[in-house]
Amino acid sequence: MSNFLQLLMNEQIKLYLRKSTWIMYILISVLVVGLAFLSNYGAEQMETYQDENWRQTLQDENAELQKEMEQDDMTQGWNTQQIEENNYYLDHDIQPRSYDAWQFVMENKFLLSLVSLLTIIVAAGIIANEFKWGTIKLLLIRPITRTKILASKYVSVLLFALFTLLYVLIFSWFVGALFFGINGMDPHIVLSQDEGFVYVSVIQQIIEGYGLQLITLVMMATFAFMISAIFRQSSLAIGIAIFLMLSGNAIVSFFAEYSWAKYILFANTNMDQYVNGSPMFEGMSLGFSLTVLAVYYVIFLAISWVFFTKRDVAGH
Amino acid sequence: MPETAMELINVKKTMSNKEIIKGLSFSIHKGEVFGFIGPNGAGKTTTIRMMVGLMGLSGGDVRILGSSIKSDYKEAVREVGAIVENPEMYPFMTGHQNLMHYARMIPDVTKDRIQEVIKLVGMEKPINEKAGKYSLGMRQRLGIAQALLHKPSVLILDEPTNGLDPAGIREIRQYIRKLAKEENVAVIISSHLLSEVEQMCDRIGLIKNGEMIAIQDVNAAAEQTTGVEIQLEVAPLKQAAEILKSDFDIHPVTADHTLNIKAERETIPTIIQTFASHDIQIYQVMITKSTLEDKFFDLIGENTIE
Repeated sequence: MSNFLQLLMNEQIKLYLRKSTWIMYILISVLVVGLAFLSNYGAEQMETYQDENWRQTLQDENAELQKEMEQDDMTQGWNTQQIEENNYYLDHDIQPRSYDAWQFVMENKFLLSLVSLLTIIVAAGIIANEFKWGTIKLLLIRPITRTKILASKYVSVLLFALFTLLYVLIFSWFVGALFFGINGMDPHIVLSQDEGFVYVSVIQQIIEGYGLQLITLVMMATFAFMISAIFRQSSLAIGIAIFLMLSGNAIVSFFAEYSWAKYILFANTNMDQYVNGSPMFEGMSLGFSLTVLAVYYVIFLAISWVFFTKRDVAGH
Repeated sequence: MPETAMELINVKKTMSNKEIIKGLSFSIHKGEVFGFIGPNGAGKTTTIRMMVGLMGLSGGDVRILGSSIKSDYKEAVREVGAIVENPEMYPFMTGHQNLMHYARMIPDVTKDRIQEVIKLVGMEKPINEKAGKYSLGMRQRLGIAQALLHKPSVLILDEPTNGLDPAGIREIRQYIRKLAKEENVAVIISSHLLSEVEQMCDRIGLIKNGEMIAIQDVNAAAEQTTGVEIQLEVAPLKQAAEILKSDFDIHPVTADHTLNIKAERETIPTIIQTFASHDIQIYQVMITKSTLEDKFFDLIGENTIE
């Protein structure tokens, strides 16, 4: 076991000593700070509700929105939504919370697709690069089975995803705190969801929002890892994995008329469908999707293992 | 009989229906330097890859200190240190970080041992620079250092003199001899240039088209009697040439300051004695071409082992 930890340490060192990994983190940092600047506008508006007269402010705003709607039909959709939200606050006697670090983190959940992208790049390179550098020959002539080396590389990819995810969360939170302040440790806000407006815990939203996307992340990273093990070439693995990640939904809808479409990986990676209670295809359930995902996952890993451990390491 | 370090038993390799290695059998003893010579494409690197487990065997077995690379991989490979083809290092890590990386993969490699191998290959100075900046010679040395970390019984070096200048080759030659002698390591050196490794090897195996054509003891070959080429630096040249013709029936080729002759090795002392008795000044007597090279050229059936 200690042996395995040493291998993990090697892989992590190789990953974090490289400039390209640092560039990834710098990219995330720049994006988060940029988003904080953009969010400043919305935050200022929320400030108007922070005094004793917040009910009056909301009512005034509704009246103004109503007036605007009468003059200009174009604003109808957006304004109705806004009025409904304001009414929810008034009806339930909830004072709108000012924008804060927690909400900033919650809104940044789309950054997880960036984390997925970076994880795919890392997963695609972790085997292929050893071949590219030629170091694979020195790596594999140690008294360690190839299975163990492969496992250390795979776990290393997952660790990278975990660290990067934590970095996005923590860095967003600190930048958010710096820009917008913090509203206690468990703030609640009103959110518009399919079933109407709901009053929810932001932290719960963060866990749900990030957590559900993790499934796609892990599946696509494992897929890129497999391609990398088969072709020993990172650009191909990155290309295929990113293409599939982006076109996943299109692929599913293209084959939607066939009965086997529900077995396509991408029909099952989106867990929102069970949260919202509207599965993509008839006959799909959470259990069904988890089973399909598990089967794909095992196949990806098994193929990686076969190609990595059974094949000769020949010349270039 | 010296102890066997590594043994190849009828090793075969078939790739895409073509037999590349056709049943190699030989063994290497502890403390011996074995030259594995053959033209490019003869199967040297393929054989080496099979010796260290990078490629599977299509037939036969490789045993290292009695452990089979097939059934007892971990035990077998623990006793092997190797460079396969070029000594590739992680370019973004320093020499020291590279060595640490490999040290973590083997139990019981101490910090002291790492310093020891760094010193052995003379890499103290550039060890904290990025390996990407190293010259080929430095990478070659670092490659040898990583191969020696765990004190292996068998050291395999694939073309270790590739890309090295003559000074570098001489240095490598020195510590390979030292390793064999002092640490009782069995060293296998592959090369396509006999002349580069001849002087550091005890035995030489010649491989061609996946077959071992001959295995030759280097020292025994040097003692063989059939004609060698001798260069004599003597003065005056003319008188010396006359003596060779009249007393030995040898017709020398005269160069600037030397006479080149072909003769039996045994006649060298007699020639020197005769020269001395005629007051000819002898500056140097040298065998210029070994019988071994001739022999191998004959076996390969070409003029060069390139």
